[in-house]
Amino acid sequence: MFKKILIANRGEIAVRVVKACREMGIHSVAVYSEADRASLHVRLADEAVPIGPPPAAESYLDMEKIVRAARRTGAEAIHPGYGFLAENAAFARVCAEAGLVFIGPTAAALELVGDKVRARQTMEKAGIPIIPGMKSAAASPAEFEKAARMLGYPVIVKASAGGGGKGMRIVEGEKDLRPALEAGMREAKSAFGDESVFLEKYIENPRHVEIQVLSDTLGRTIHLCERECSIQRRHQKIVEETPSTALDPPLRALMGETARRAMEAAGYINAGTVEFLLDRNRNFYFLEVNARLQVEHPVTELVTGVDLVRQQILVAAGERLEIEQEDVRQRGHALECRIYAEDPERNFLPSPGKIRVLREPGGPGVRFDSGIFEGWEVPIYYDPILAKLVVWAENRERACRRMAAALDETVILGIKTPLAFLRDVVTHEAFLAGRTDTGFLARHFEAWTARPADEPGLRLALAAAAYAETRAAARPDRGKAGQPAVEAATPWTSLGRWRNGGA
Amino acid sequence: MEFEYLVDGAVRKVAVEVKDGLVRFQEGETVFEAEILAVSDSELFLSVEGAGRRILLARDGDRRLVFHGGREYVLEAPGKAEGASFQGEDGGKEGGIVKAPMPGKVIKVLVAEGEPVRKNQTLLIVEAMKMENEIKAGRECVVRKVHVAAGDLVDAARPLIELE
Repeated sequence: MFKKILIANRGEIAVRVVKACREMGIHSVAVYSEADRASLHVRLADEAVPIGPPPAAESYLDMEKIVRAARRTGAEAIHPGYGFLAENAAFARVCAEAGLVFIGPTAAALELVGDKVRARQTMEKAGIPIIPGMKSAAASPAEFEKAARMLGYPVIVKASAGGGGKGMRIVEGEKDLRPALEAGMREAKSAFGDESVFLEKYIENPRHVEIQVLSDTLGRTIHLCERECSIQRRHQKIVEETPSTALDPPLRALMGETARRAMEAAGYINAGTVEFLLDRNRNFYFLEVNARLQVEHPVTELVTGVDLVRQQILVAAGERLEIEQEDVRQRGHALECRIYAEDPERNFLPSPGKIRVLREPGGPGVRFDSGIFEGWEVPIYYDPILAKLVVWAENRERACRRMAAALDETVILGIKTPLAFLRDVVTHEAFLAGRTDTGFLARHFEAWTARPADEPGLRLALAAAAYAETRAAARPDRGKAGQPAVEAATPWTSLGRWRNGGA
Repeated sequence: MEFEYLVDGAVRKVAVEVKDGLVRFQEGETVFEAEILAVSDSELFLSVEGAGRRILLARDGDRRLVFHGGREYVLEAPGKAEGASFQGEDGGKEGGIVKAPMPGKVIKVLVAEGEPVRKNQTLLIVEAMKMENEIKAGRECVVRKVHVAAGDLVDAARPLIELE
């Protein structure tokens, strides 16, 4: 087993891997950009190495710096997390050349499944159902136009190298195609360093159902059942769950086996996910392989009891998976809500800034995978994910209640987050009834606003604020003891009869 | 002491007096008392008519942030309300200064000084957290001044473009 692992990532996923390493008795090495000097993953890792300026291209995407950091610290393996270099075949190759183990699939498998166009070809050949689309990225706008006409609008622009909604654009008609291509290519370039995009027929309002697969170097490939991730906004998943309400045991077995075969066809090793779209008639289409640990992996962990990061590390070290297909059982129900730095009342605009108060939820069946802490400034440079709230309960109804209660318990002040929005989602009648598809948010939550404040609640808030002001005003000596000085005099004071001479 | 807050466009005046572990609030004719059970810089535990109320507090410049009962309340300073500028998709609704809807980086400036713009025309693109945000003109007008160029880091307070 490895003695030391470098984690080529940041935020909550880097923290997740640090924790897995600690449990396994493996030393962890964090890397960080100048914007992340005080970040949580840096604080928690055993060692931390600076790798450059804030833009990802000059730090978290700089392979050479990361490999150098691994060599200097004596790390034997690199865990890439998700995003950044996680699905980058060139990076896997650079690691191998430097004598480092890349914790993930081989460079060849990454090349195959990471290029969505080639992946589709491979899957088609292996008899896996696929969505109609372009066979390769086009060279000119005219070629794209021709392809779009052949597929029939609406079509969707996708980044060849991408995932997570980056670079994606739905195009309803020809006049919108060119701007969508340009924007998609720009986003793809900035997110993945590769601007190639392709077009696919757009299937309206399917469910997004994916299968978690694990395989080791000793020839075993198993699946750990499904996750449903239909609650999406701009193709970005925000609520995930397992089991899916749309699957019964035969369909689950069929999709699981199809995913397993797909991964075997790709020569895939380690943890990976096969994404499918499931239409109303229970037809499913291969969407893509996510050749990495996924953001939503915790729901699978809670329901199957398998620690996916641990399995990833074992497989990378050449060991055998600790679980066999016949041992995989789904027990109870798990839900995950992604907590981003964004404002649900202003079209989900990013909301970087300082976290002034943080209270994390807890209790039975509640897991909070977090990359944040109170007093930390959320930087503008990276993905807005702050934390993931994951709950487990005996059944779906109880899991939804537990999630609503845990969301209520979570407090993040100073930046905008979608906590109240998420609460409304998991308590919505259609969600509770399991009527989820990728059109769910557009249908039920367009122009969402927080419920209006009730007068007694507001009055208590005003009273508490005023009391806090008197406390701040009563501490004129605060700066002297070497503590941070009180921020400029309160802007809310007005002369009134309660004011007395001393204040 | 007496304090004024701006909430949803209305000024609210609250008087507060602390004595012997009790705090007395008054707003107009409404008066209520609470017992202070515990207090820190960011947390307040009050007993109001026998019921415990946990309240979290933070200050963000001129904004007081209060959280209790599963809900956040944003209390602003009177006279410093938002709405003095035009942000995001509402950019330039009544002419004037266009500011960034959030801190970020300017990716592209699509208009030049002196250029007439249509309603809903994209003026510039600001990126934050890997998302591109188009800032559009709220009405037909002319670009008076462009303060930023591609690559500039901007915060939510800095003027980006002036319209007339």
